Amino acid sequence: MAAEPTREWSDEQLKSDDLPKKDIIKFLQDNAAHSFLNEHKMLGNIKNVSKTAKKDQLIIAYNQLFESKRFKGTEPEEDVAEQIKAVKIEEKPKEVKAEVVDEGPPKYTKSVLKKGDKTNFPKKGDTVSCWYTGTLEDGTVFDTNIPTAARKKKQAKPLSFKVGMGRVIKGWDEGLLTMSKGETARLEIDPEWAYGRKGLPESKIPPNAKLIFEVELVSVD
Amino acid sequence: MALEQLSDVVQRCQALSDDGYTTEDHDVFTTAGRTCIEEGNSLQVLSIVLDEKNQNMVRSLGWNLLPPLVQVLLKEEDKNLPQCLAIFNHLIESCRPKELLIGLLEELEHDDPDRLADRLHLLLPPLQKVLLCLGSRKAASLGMTLSSVLDQLDKLPVPDTKEQEEDDVFSLCRCCTDLIQFARPFVQEARQTLLSRGTQRENSGRTAGGQDGEKEDELQTELLKFCMKILSQPLLDVQLRDPDTLPLSPLRMFATEILEILGAVGESLPALVFHPLLKRKQVPGFLEEEVRYPKTSLACLAHMVFVHHLAADTFPSVFNPVFCLRCNMEHISALLSRTEDSRLQKGLELYEKSLVRVENCSLPADLLEIKTFLTVPQNLIKVMTICPKDVLRTKGLKVFQLSIDKFDTEAKYRFFQYLLRTSNHSGVEGYIIKNIKNQINTALQPGNSNIWFEGVHLLPLLQRVFRLPDGPETDLLQYLDRVMESLNLLRYLVIRDKVTENQTGIWTELYKIEDTFLKPLRVGLNMSRAHYERELHDTADSKRKAKEESILSVSVGREKLPKMSSESQIQALHSALHTFDMIESVLVRIEELIEVKDSL
Repeated sequence: MAAEPTREWSDEQLKSDDLPKKDIIKFLQDNAAHSFLNEHKMLGNIKNVSKTAKKDQLIIAYNQLFESKRFKGTEPEEDVAEQIKAVKIEEKPKEVKAEVVDEGPPKYTKSVLKKGDKTNFPKKGDTVSCWYTGTLEDGTVFDTNIPTAARKKKQAKPLSFKVGMGRVIKGWDEGLLTMSKGETARLEIDPEWAYGRKGLPESKIPPNAKLIFEVELVSVD
Repeated sequence: MALEQLSDVVQRCQALSDDGYTTEDHDVFTTAGRTCIEEGNSLQVLSIVLDEKNQNMVRSLGWNLLPPLVQVLLKEEDKNLPQCLAIFNHLIESCRPKELLIGLLEELEHDDPDRLADRLHLLLPPLQKVLLCLGSRKAASLGMTLSSVLDQLDKLPVPDTKEQEEDDVFSLCRCCTDLIQFARPFVQEARQTLLSRGTQRENSGRTAGGQDGEKEDELQTELLKFCMKILSQPLLDVQLRDPDTLPLSPLRMFATEILEILGAVGESLPALVFHPLLKRKQVPGFLEEEVRYPKTSLACLAHMVFVHHLAADTFPSVFNPVFCLRCNMEHISALLSRTEDSRLQKGLELYEKSLVRVENCSLPADLLEIKTFLTVPQNLIKVMTICPKDVLRTKGLKVFQLSIDKFDTEAKYRFFQYLLRTSNHSGVEGYIIKNIKNQINTALQPGNSNIWFEGVHLLPLLQRVFRLPDGPETDLLQYLDRVMESLNLLRYLVIRDKVTENQTGIWTELYKIEDTFLKPLRVGLNMSRAHYERELHDTADSKRKAKEESILSVSVGREKLPKMSSESQIQALHSALHTFDMIESVLVRIEELIEVKDSL
């Protein structure tokens, strides 16, 4: 094993403009362990490293090298850096944002038209059934499941679905969770929690439409 | 002769009761009766059949006369038509339903491809009448009839163009209309049962229906089976025309009616369309889940609802577009895993329609953990690369890009990673690499910074991009698309990302890329060029010398393809060399750019 390298330059010399970055880099590349260089981003063509590293960083690195004594030959020659990188590819990075938590204000308003039993509130995943009528701001009814005399006499059933699971528009998911069995409420939903910029042209819902629903929560399972 | 025989046997049997007829009586009646009709003596047969005294025999054996009667009725200009029609109608009124059913179905299944549509048209009304006479036992017989009818219907070709549908060249439209007419009373009955059972349940609390309830369930089940079968065939192969293209479309009306029937038997359209994601309670009874709701039928249904909007006024407008997409992916997967043009077309349309409803850059990466979100792109790639129809390949590519655009940044990243790892196709890889370049470009713009297409995560992705599958021996012509796009990306990075900023990290990676990509590429280029130049030289030489028999020959359809002429060979070789020039020019440019930055 080679003898431990000695410090060539003092702090003043390092800071001086007479000492080019490239010289420091060369020294480090010649004497530091591979992993040390990798951590300090000093691998590769000296010219490139010189462009990306500031003089201050080089001085710090130089000093650190002598403090930690991580010289060439003190660590296994295998490409530890590659191993770390390899692990990183498969592992899910921790910076990934957690579930989008909507901390913003709710994008709908609710007014109760008829009180419910105030006891049976649905939880996420429960199956709810409801009658509803949906209108646009101008009063156009775009959807309803309430049978009227005018409509063909069919077996009409309330709409059933699992609430809070993203199966319906967000305004419904959030709104229904605040309702109790038997309650009838008026939900005014901003487009962001309805059909947004696209709208639903085949259902007569234009882009950026605020939707108004009158919903009666019939049952909770 | 025959007429005498008929009169004799009929007279002889006037006094007998039903079980008194011998086999001989039966045979004579049948043979003589049929012969009379065939010979044109239908008037006499009519009077025999209408005679009060003969009603027992007519009721028991009359149905055996159906075959020649149907023959005549199909002829239309036959002068015996009115009499035969009268006989036919009388038999339908008088004979036993079960036997009539057998007779009529036999006639229906008669192998007569040219008159198929006419047969259906003729036989459906009497079949309906007969089935209605079966009372509460009709379900199984109805099922059998519908099954036979659909088997026949399958034999009719489907119109390809709007004009063919308008002219009903294959008579499919008329048959479909006839079929709806036929089914009407049974659908109505099912509807009534559903309504009354619903009220019953409300009144008495949730108790299961009694004996009667079971029987009616059978009717519903048969009608459900019927709808599901129709959705698979012919509806899956039919191209429905929208109202602006064809205001009066019998096939579109037919499809709409089928949706109505589904409602009448208690099936909810949303429940059917979202079936893949809903955990349905197993319905105790006659059909297993998979048989009850076949995948291709549901896929056809989803297409009708989402692409043609056939149920627009009854389908609830409250469902989340992402949820719809998730459910539709199952249907799309079923459609795109086939090779028939009509299915691929429908799969692509359904995919496109589902994607369009979703905002750009909104679909999260966890969707990629759902199997269909990986299998559908695989199927799509197959369509894009090997489908013989150019229109479908083009559309496939368009939908592919659309699907990429809808993913959020992390999802795009993971999707690109996945495809680079699995697609094994140079053109696809090249296309993905181009997308990566676009994403990096977006990320580098002020305000768009993200962790996926710059910084820490970009480098592993770039490692996948900047590599040669076989090192220096890589066939550059085969991998041309991928190699060119990789070089374009590298050139872009080296120009766009300033060395001093190194936002993408490319500058610190460069030495690696030089080793694993640029240097082997340089070697490969030189080798390939040398090889092809040699070939060119040899080919030019051998033009003058006698050609050797080659070891390999290619035949298509039993005809051996001619060997490439030397002119074509030379052309091909020149073309290859030109390609190498192209690769080299970008390579050289990159090397120049790196040099310039170095010397700054």
